[in-house]
Amino acid sequence: MTVRVLVAACAALLAASLAGAEKSPPAGIQEWRPPMTAWGVPDLRGVWDFRTITPLERPVRFGETGALTEEQASEFREQELSRRNKDRRASDGISAEQDVRNAYNQFWWDYGSELTEDRRTSLIVEPPDGRIPALTPAARKRYGTIRDARARAPHGPEDRGVAERCILGFNAGPPYTPSAYNNNVHIFQTPGYAVLLIEMVNDARIVPLDGRPHLPDNMRQWRGDARGRWEGNTLVVESRNFTAKTSYRGSGKNMVLTERFTRVGPERLVYEYTINDPESFAKPWKAQIPMKRTDQPMFEYACHEGNYSMFTMLEGARSAERAGEPHTGSNLP
Amino acid sequence: MRHCLNSALGAVRTRSLAVALVLALTAGASWAQEYEAALTPDGNPNLNGIWQALGTAHWNIEGHSAESGPVVEMGALGAIPGGLAIVEGGKIPYRDEALAKRDANRQDWLALDPVVKCYMPGVPRATYMPFPFQIVQTPEHILIAYEFASASRVIYMNRPDFEHPGDAWMGHSRGRWDGQTLVVEVTNHVPNTWFDSAGNFHTDALRVVERYTPTGPNHILYEAEIEDENVYTRPWKIKLPLYRRMDENMQLLEFKCVEFVEEMMYGHLRKKDSE
Repeated sequence: MTVRVLVAACAALLAASLAGAEKSPPAGIQEWRPPMTAWGVPDLRGVWDFRTITPLERPVRFGETGALTEEQASEFREQELSRRNKDRRASDGISAEQDVRNAYNQFWWDYGSELTEDRRTSLIVEPPDGRIPALTPAARKRYGTIRDARARAPHGPEDRGVAERCILGFNAGPPYTPSAYNNNVHIFQTPGYAVLLIEMVNDARIVPLDGRPHLPDNMRQWRGDARGRWEGNTLVVESRNFTAKTSYRGSGKNMVLTERFTRVGPERLVYEYTINDPESFAKPWKAQIPMKRTDQPMFEYACHEGNYSMFTMLEGARSAERAGEPHTGSNLP
Repeated sequence: MRHCLNSALGAVRTRSLAVALVLALTAGASWAQEYEAALTPDGNPNLNGIWQALGTAHWNIEGHSAESGPVVEMGALGAIPGGLAIVEGGKIPYRDEALAKRDANRQDWLALDPVVKCYMPGVPRATYMPFPFQIVQTPEHILIAYEFASASRVIYMNRPDFEHPGDAWMGHSRGRWDGQTLVVEVTNHVPNTWFDSAGNFHTDALRVVERYTPTGPNHILYEAEIEDENVYTRPWKIKLPLYRRMDENMQLLEFKCVEFVEEMMYGHLRKKDSE
């Protein structure tokens, strides 16, 4: 009962923040006291499920409407479920091309079936239109190069994204972003460290909490270099030192990513991230994703070990060239 | 025998110490007995930290002399250093036909060794790859995150009945404490991993029981009993020390080696006139 009331309270606070207030949720959360580890920090340990069908970016038709009424939400949910339904065939009125792009059946997809409990129209909570801010000209150029490479028959593996190359999972970011399946992160804590293990391609981000400096500027990593600290009951993880080889929705190598993990109930955690990258985005942006505790274990995702698709994509492209067939382009998420 | 030992111990009066010494002399593997491990806040022996094996077991877990490496251009840097066996008794007790397969593997190891392709090394090989790994302990789960290939595994503590639905490159790990020793039973291995670059192999019948025993604040004795009736005539053991990485601000760095093997694996499928 207490939990439900508090979740409602949090939702109300969130709605208030979406309506234009400065502070977002971790503010409202102080009322609930999370369990503590034996060494006295909030206990975030366990497997957290971040599935949701609320889209990252708000559909333009909602304008600045951050949260919906119950009735509107129910309609939006139906639309989202229908839009994501991979079992629609050309005979259901979608184009033949879309039918092909739907690839595997609905059975394999695991977006979940619910919007966020606070009935938001987007995971992005800042800026107020719920959309990724405009890319800077430099970022547009960079992103354009990536898009062109992805749209053509792949010249080599580098033309495909990090997910298809099995370097990082498609929902692994960082930051974590709900996607097609394996939306689970296992949080471990031990004195001096938090570790964030995402199921997709098994990436463990080890976050030192001892105040040590970041790696020197010349050392760059696909998933950046994470350092953490506690702010009240919130675990704050700041990552820098990203590479120029990856891009999160247009970000560049100098992105500063700040993620905040706040447990707001026995079964609930609020995950919030802010992207600060003036070289790439007109302004910083922030998203908030609810995570739900699960007793289900995570399993190994041996991606590279089973990456037959890279061979077949490249073989397909070379074979089409030999036959003089035009390439019809690849699907972009 | 007892009389002889008693005389040898001479002035030693402490009964427990005498017992410990007798155990050490007879069992040979009990250097851990005298060290009392620090505890985690949850009260378990504390294995938290960043560890690494030294030595050349990743090349060959049996004893081997130095030899030239496979890449001519790498010269002395690419040569394979010699190393003592980490296999108890020196030799793996292969069945005859399995030994023939091991030798065939060895002949063509560069093409066949799964780690060359950046595949997850499996257990126990991940332990003695020449890369650090980090142990992160919680009461219910112990995570081991390996730098090589970003491999990792979760050890499920005190859940002997937790079955795994399939096989995995890093296996399925169930752990318990036996005194100061972390005992991990590792099952559900894929048959695709090897023990080293010398062709030593197993099948999917592999079972590994690992023992991690702290022997000092900065050392762990790592032992593993290995069983696979398809391949070996009896269970056998490996044993090696693990060392804490003492470097200031030590951290695991990324070694996402997929990027480093793409040319080797997919290079022949590149567009010919591509830039």
